[in-house]
Amino acid sequence: MPRQRSPPSRKSGTPVGNESPGAQAAGVDVLIAEDSRIQAKILQKRLIDAGHAVRWGENGADALAMARERRPDIIISDIEMPVMTGYEFCKAVKTDPSLQTVPFILMSTLSDPIDIIRGLDAGADNYVTKPYDPEYLLGRMQSLLQSPIGDATEAATLEVALAGQTFRVQAGRQQVLNLLVSTFENAVAKNQELIAANEDLSVARDRLQKTNAELSTLNEEITRRNAQMVRDLEAAAKVQRSLLPADDVSLPAAEVAWRYVPCHSLAGDFLNVFPLDEEHAGLFVVDVSGHGVPSSLMAVTVGRFLTPKVSDQSLLVRQAADGRIVIASPADVATQLNRLFQADEFSGLYFTMLYGVLHMPTGKLDYVSGGHPALLRAPAVGAVEFHGAEGFPIGFVPDVEYQQKTLMLSPGDRIYLYSDGVTEAMDKNQEQLGEQALAECIASSRPQPLEQTVAGLLETVEQWCQPAGPLDDVSILGIEWKP
Amino acid sequence: MDQYRRIQTGKTGDVHLVVFKDKKILDDTVLDEIKKEITTYMGKAAGPDMLLDFANVEFMSSAMLGLLGQLHRKITAGQGRLKMCNIRPEIFQVFKLTNLDKLFSIHKDAPTALATFT
Repeated sequence: MPRQRSPPSRKSGTPVGNESPGAQAAGVDVLIAEDSRIQAKILQKRLIDAGHAVRWGENGADALAMARERRPDIIISDIEMPVMTGYEFCKAVKTDPSLQTVPFILMSTLSDPIDIIRGLDAGADNYVTKPYDPEYLLGRMQSLLQSPIGDATEAATLEVALAGQTFRVQAGRQQVLNLLVSTFENAVAKNQELIAANEDLSVARDRLQKTNAELSTLNEEITRRNAQMVRDLEAAAKVQRSLLPADDVSLPAAEVAWRYVPCHSLAGDFLNVFPLDEEHAGLFVVDVSGHGVPSSLMAVTVGRFLTPKVSDQSLLVRQAADGRIVIASPADVATQLNRLFQADEFSGLYFTMLYGVLHMPTGKLDYVSGGHPALLRAPAVGAVEFHGAEGFPIGFVPDVEYQQKTLMLSPGDRIYLYSDGVTEAMDKNQEQLGEQALAECIASSRPQPLEQTVAGLLETVEQWCQPAGPLDDVSILGIEWKP
Repeated sequence: MDQYRRIQTGKTGDVHLVVFKDKKILDDTVLDEIKKEITTYMGKAAGPDMLLDFANVEFMSSAMLGLLGQLHRKITAGQGRLKMCNIRPEIFQVFKLTNLDKLFSIHKDAPTALATFT
C-alpha cells in the first residue's frame, strides 16, 4: 500500500468560487505576521517563488499598521508574538470595516481544542498547523481566495461548550465552515501521518523480530559450540591427566607424594613417577613453555615418549634382543628428546625437564636437567640443599649432548622435583616466592610425613599468590627413599 | 623508520638495535605481537647482527625465552650474531635458571655490547 505523506489539501473540500479548481491565485498581495525572522524568511521565499508579493511584520501591531497602510489580499499570521498576538491581530482585522473581508490564516499548533475556539472568536478564516507543509499552505490560500468572505453583519453569536465551559464566539457561517474543514483536514493529515508512522513501526518491529530470531539462532550456535569446546577441553584434560602418576603408584623402596595444579583447564606441566623395572624407578617433572591448548598438546606429545611401557615410542625403556629390559640413561633420554623436539616445529614452544632414575636398592639417583629448576634434597639429617645439573631447555639448541649427574641418597632422604610455578609464584607486588622460601618451607616441614610436606608446600605457594592465585601451573613431586 | 607498537628499532653501524617497549612481557598476546614485529623488521632489515635491549623490561615470562631461542637460531643460521643487554638481575635469573645465560651473549649495556660486535 502506497504511503501518502503529504496532507490532502484541495481534494478534501469542494472549492467554492468561479475559478476552476486547481487554478493558482497568482500575484496576490500577502501580509505575514511572524516574530521569527528565519521562519518569516522561509515563508516569504516560498510565497515569492509562487508569484506573490509579500510584506512582513514582526508582530501583530506592525502587521496591522501595514494592513491599514495598504489592504492586503490575504493575511498569514503566527499566534505567539510579542506586542500583539495573532489572535489580537486577527480580531483587530476582523473588526476593522476596511479589512474584515481579508482572508486570515492563523498558523497554530492546534495542540488544544481551545485553540479552535480562540481562532473562531478572533474571526480567523482558516488554520494551518505548524510545522506546515508549504504546498498545503498555498492550497489553503488558494481556496480561501476563491471563497468570498462574508461581512461582519453575517456573524452571529454562537455558544460553544468545551471542557465544561461555555464560550461565546462571534463567527460567520462561512468562517465556521472554513475552520471546521481545515480542522478536519488537519485531523485527516495527522491521522495519515500516524498511519504512516504506524506502518514504519510495524516494519521496524518485523525487522526487529527477524533480527531477534537471527540472534537467538546465533546464540544457540554459540552455546552449542561452547558446549562442544568444553567437552573437547574436558576430553583433552582427561588425556592430560593420563600423564600423571597412577592412583596406585607404589615403589618397592620409596614413598611418593605429589601435587599438580594447572592454572587453566589445560596445562603445559606434567609429572610422573613409575617403576621402570624391579629395581629402578623413573621420575620427572616437565614444564612446556606457555599455557593452554598449544602447550598442553605438546605436553601430551612429549608424554608419549616418557612412558615406562616398552614400545617403539618409549625413550625410557627398550627391550634387548635377549628379552631383557634396558633402561636408558637420563642423559640419553634428554639428548633424544632434544633431537625430537626442536623448537621450530612447535612455533617457539620448548620445555624444561628434570628426569631421574632412582636405583632403589642403593639409593643412587642419576638425573639430567634440561634447563629445569634444581631438585631439592631434604636429607634425614642435615640441611636441605639444591642439586642442579647444567643443560639447555629441550628443543632450544640442536644436537646438544646432555650430561647427567649422580646423587647418592641416604635412607630417609627426601628429594623434591617441582616446576618454576613454585619458585616463580608471584605475590600481589609481583615478588617471586624464590628458592630460599622453598628451602625454608621444606626444611621446616622435615619432621612431618612426606605427604604433608608436599601438601604444605602447595599451600605456601597458594597463599603467596593470594588473592589472584597462581598464574602458572604448579607441579610438585616428592620422593622419600626407604630401603 | 617504521613505527612498531612493541619494539623500537634503530641501527648503530651494521648492528640492528631492537628495544622492547613493554615493561611486562608476560601474556601470550604481547609475546605474539613482539614475535610478529621482530619478524617483520627482520624481513626488511639488511645485515645479520642484532642487539636486543631489555632496559624497559621488568617482568618477563619464560615463554619469551622460546622466542629468543628462535631468533638466536635464525640469526646464527644467517651468519649473524645476536646479543642482549640491559637485563635486570630478576630477568637474568630466568636465563640463569634455564642455563640460557650460557647460550646467549649477554652484556651490561648497549655500548659494551656494541663494542663486542667489531
